[in-house]
Amino acid sequence: MIAARRLRRGALAAALVCAGALGAGAAAPLAHREVLPNGPVLLVAERAALPIVVVTVWLRAGSALDPTGAPGLANLTAALLTRGTARRSGPDLDRAIESVGGSLEADASRDGVSVSLAVLRKHLDLGLDLVAEVLRAPAFAPEEVERKRREIGAALERAEEEPESVASRALAEALFPGHPYGHPVAGTAESVRRLTREQVVAFHRAHYRPDDAVVAVAGDVTLAEARRAVLARLGAWAPPAAPRASVPMAAARPPVASRALERELTQATVLLGAPAVRQDHPDYFPLLVASQVLGGGSVSRLYTALREERGLVYSVSSGLSPGRYGASLLIALQSRNETVDVAIRLARGELDRLRKEPLDAAELDIARSYLIGSFPLRLDTTGKTVRFLIGVEDAGLDLDYPDVFRQRVAQVTAADVARVAARYLDPAGFSTIVVRGRTGAG
Amino acid sequence: MRVALAVAALLLAAAAPAVPAPVVEATLDNGLRVLLLEDHRSPIASVQMWYRVGSRDERPGATGLAHFLEHMMFKGTPAHGKGMFSRLVEENGGQDNAFTSQDATAYYVDIAAERVELVLALEADRMRHLLLDPREVDSERQVVMEERRTRSEDDPDGALAEELSAVAFKAHPYRWPIIGWMEDIQRIEAGQLRAFYDAYYRPNNALLVVVGDIDAPALLERVRALFGAIPRGPEPPPVLAVEPRPNGERRVTVRKPGARLPVVGLAYHVPNHRSPDAPALALLATLLSEGRAARLHRALVYERQVALDTSGDYPYSSRDPSLFWLSATAQPGHTPAELEQALLDELERLKVEPVSEEELDRARNQTEAGFVWGQDSVHARASTLARFELMGSWRLLERYVPEVRAVTAADVQRVARAYFAADRRTVGILLPAAGEP
Repeated sequence: MIAARRLRRGALAAALVCAGALGAGAAAPLAHREVLPNGPVLLVAERAALPIVVVTVWLRAGSALDPTGAPGLANLTAALLTRGTARRSGPDLDRAIESVGGSLEADASRDGVSVSLAVLRKHLDLGLDLVAEVLRAPAFAPEEVERKRREIGAALERAEEEPESVASRALAEALFPGHPYGHPVAGTAESVRRLTREQVVAFHRAHYRPDDAVVAVAGDVTLAEARRAVLARLGAWAPPAAPRASVPMAAARPPVASRALERELTQATVLLGAPAVRQDHPDYFPLLVASQVLGGGSVSRLYTALREERGLVYSVSSGLSPGRYGASLLIALQSRNETVDVAIRLARGELDRLRKEPLDAAELDIARSYLIGSFPLRLDTTGKTVRFLIGVEDAGLDLDYPDVFRQRVAQVTAADVARVAARYLDPAGFSTIVVRGRTGAG
Repeated sequence: MRVALAVAALLLAAAAPAVPAPVVEATLDNGLRVLLLEDHRSPIASVQMWYRVGSRDERPGATGLAHFLEHMMFKGTPAHGKGMFSRLVEENGGQDNAFTSQDATAYYVDIAAERVELVLALEADRMRHLLLDPREVDSERQVVMEERRTRSEDDPDGALAEELSAVAFKAHPYRWPIIGWMEDIQRIEAGQLRAFYDAYYRPNNALLVVVGDIDAPALLERVRALFGAIPRGPEPPPVLAVEPRPNGERRVTVRKPGARLPVVGLAYHVPNHRSPDAPALALLATLLSEGRAARLHRALVYERQVALDTSGDYPYSSRDPSLFWLSATAQPGHTPAELEQALLDELERLKVEPVSEEELDRARNQTEAGFVWGQDSVHARASTLARFELMGSWRLLERYVPEVRAVTAADVQRVARAYFAADRRTVGILLPAAGEP
């Protein structure tokens, strides 16, 4: 038994929603796409090698749609989907899916909610029945709302002991002031306490709609089977009369902010962040390559300078986090309280160097080769394939995105990197969050 | 799940072919064990080199050696200088990493199948030609210390797991943390790393597994060519320590000023896969902790609402007998004593009432489905082959699901009574520091 994985790196990787999720390309078509009569986009990738199927229904009902004064509403709504429907209690749902060795999960993020089913092929019908039920007929029973609010409150309390959670929350506030991206997906202890069942019901009615839904299916199922099965359960789902919600884009140039937070820690956690661009912007691919050179792996500049040469960090990385309503470039590192200021200075120095010195050909080559060559690893499981399809659709990209990705990365030149570095990588433009030990506590 | 107490359940992430897979197996003259499996779903392969050495092979005063050496394996050889290994892997689109456990140290590269030979050449090189430059050792020491701060010093669950193990074992090396004590990491010298490397990094102590879009017979010939000339080494020294039979409950309390919610861990001394009781213990772990319908979640999180989350783990494949873990994090306002009692109540219930057929079936189906899902990536297939091979033979995989499926309600009750006994138990309690909310 592997008692505890001791990875060499990557502790904060989860905090960086890397652009890699939309990696490079395969020659064969990734999936079939069609729009069902009542609005949902259906994406099907046939993978017959194993008798398993993953289905994710993605809706744009994420925390970006939280009403003013109600941070956490989208998250609470999503968390309650599997806590009971018109026909089954929460424990009944749990037993139904787990009895066949499957799973059914609903999770909110900034941009959406995913309801994900993972099941053996022979239980696909049961699984899809449950998916349709939790999407369309959640009960939102008052006692379950109360129970879930308390659980979320407890999880928020625990998040206070995790330095990366504390730092992520502060950075979101800094990068997205006044925008829904600025508050945590789960809300705050205070906001969650105030949420009501009526708000949940209204949010569900307004934002869980077929004309906003993406249904991605991958596994041992044919296109015809998938279409029939999805239509049978979601085909009669009518869109509400109300118009779809609109959310403003985040400010392109928010004020730069710095915050130092103190906790009982021997090691400081640092997040640096600055506005960036989404996949549809011409600067996206050069910036992706720049970020790869900066902190994308164990030959990157940050890794080399901070870890290999100075032994200041175990974990350091950079990545792009493109969202529907705004994008960021993030750098994350951890270093002990005594050395963290040096580490931050060196990280800022690397940003500056990328801006001021031309990239050498070998460095550029490694970054491009890695981004292109590692593509198949981003589709190496059924679950990853479904997430990729959802990501492509949600970003408004086409199913040839893998090919586009490969071509566009290959075309990035040192001059392109220099151009985007000048524009996006000025250290003075990065907000800085440091969560460190109390002064004197070491 | 954030809990470090509950560690990745091997068999959930694990793969087992429903029918015997066409594994090409060989043992080279120098003792290198090789398992190759063709899987042509995607043009990629997972190359994994496992050494039968972990924190179990260390001594007091030099804990953390195995893990420290894992870090040094990326620091170069005369043929491939510092950083070259990762550089070659990345410029070929591969992803590499490594991990150390109590029993093994593994290095893996997931990469385009056409680049597998490049990786094999690098692995063959670093099996015997590591530089281990003392200056690099000193630099990497700081990195390992940072890693320890992340995982143990500043992570309440990690800190609790460490203290609990240190109390639960008194003679066996499972009592110290894989990463080692900070005091030892500070003192490890290049000479100690060299001696450890020479003792354990030998073909006769290694297992090479490749799963992916490969031509297995042809690749076996390349493996012979690349590794065949490496001389067999002396057999590594055996671990002689045996944990004495536990003779009473042990308890430990850890205070962490940074923690917000109390955590309770219970650990019971149990046998490993060599015991006829192992399948029942594995099923028991599933029944207690796999999913929201499982007993711990249902009782502690949903019904009694005393816990924020719960977890459980049975280290089926550990090389020596180890600990069955249960843990729970308190909801605000609930005490460790309440949590401990709630966990104990669930264990008592297992001893008194036979579990229902419905529950047994659910756990059996979860076990079986977990096996199928574990075959979804070449990486998971390779890891699973390696873990079972290290238990004795990859062929043990074929027996796992049938054995777990055969477990009866009477078996579960008997095993719960035999092992969830107070004198086998260690209780660990994590408390936020006094005065903190």
